[in-house]
Amino acid sequence: MKLEMRQKLAREPFAEKIRKVGQLIRLAKTFPRRAAKSPPAAK
Amino acid sequence: MPINEPSANLPLADVLRAANGLVAAKLIEDWALGGALAAIYYVEPFTTYDADIFFIPADKGLTAGIPAIYAHLQSQGWQVEREHLVVRGFPVQFLAAGGLTEEAVREAERIEFEGVPAKVFRAEHIVAIAASVGRQKDKARIEQLLQQADLDKTKLENILQRHKLKLPML
Repeated sequence: MKLEMRQKLAREPFAEKIRKVGQLIRLAKTFPRRAAKSPPAAK
Repeated sequence: MPINEPSANLPLADVLRAANGLVAAKLIEDWALGGALAAIYYVEPFTTYDADIFFIPADKGLTAGIPAIYAHLQSQGWQVEREHLVVRGFPVQFLAAGGLTEEAVREAERIEFEGVPAKVFRAEHIVAIAASVGRQKDKARIEQLLQQADLDKTKLENILQRHKLKLPML
């Protein structure tokens, strides 16, 4: 993300930012990171 | 809604209200929000899985009154999961402040969140604390604050000097 966009997000009201953190937590729980697949074993 | 019922939103107002309750119950002297959620006061939102409440203990003994704090919050429906107290499914750490973190609590910015009076660490103290801890995520936090927060450079230099700290190479 561009620095300008991140600075704009930083200037949002705290309550709005906390609402977004809540959304991020829900997303992370819904779509947990999977461990990277290991490459197929060499034959 | 009962205090132990999971919330779809981050229950920060409940956390702050509980911290004020600890002051009213004379279990702590003062407190402020620190850690990632304090950083988010100044920078873009990012994922974090707990809240850090730094407190100045009323009990100056070895335990810093932590057993009484746990008992008080558990009597109000909070649950204990390892080192966290949990409210509405959200973990909270209560950390006794000392040295730099005690200064950060005493000089914290007064705010109001959803009608609840609260205090949040100043950006300069968050940078100094991150410099004192020095993990990779602390370096990332410093970089984020330097780019996005309106830091008072003189105040930051003063804090770093008094606590014999240096900013890491970024």
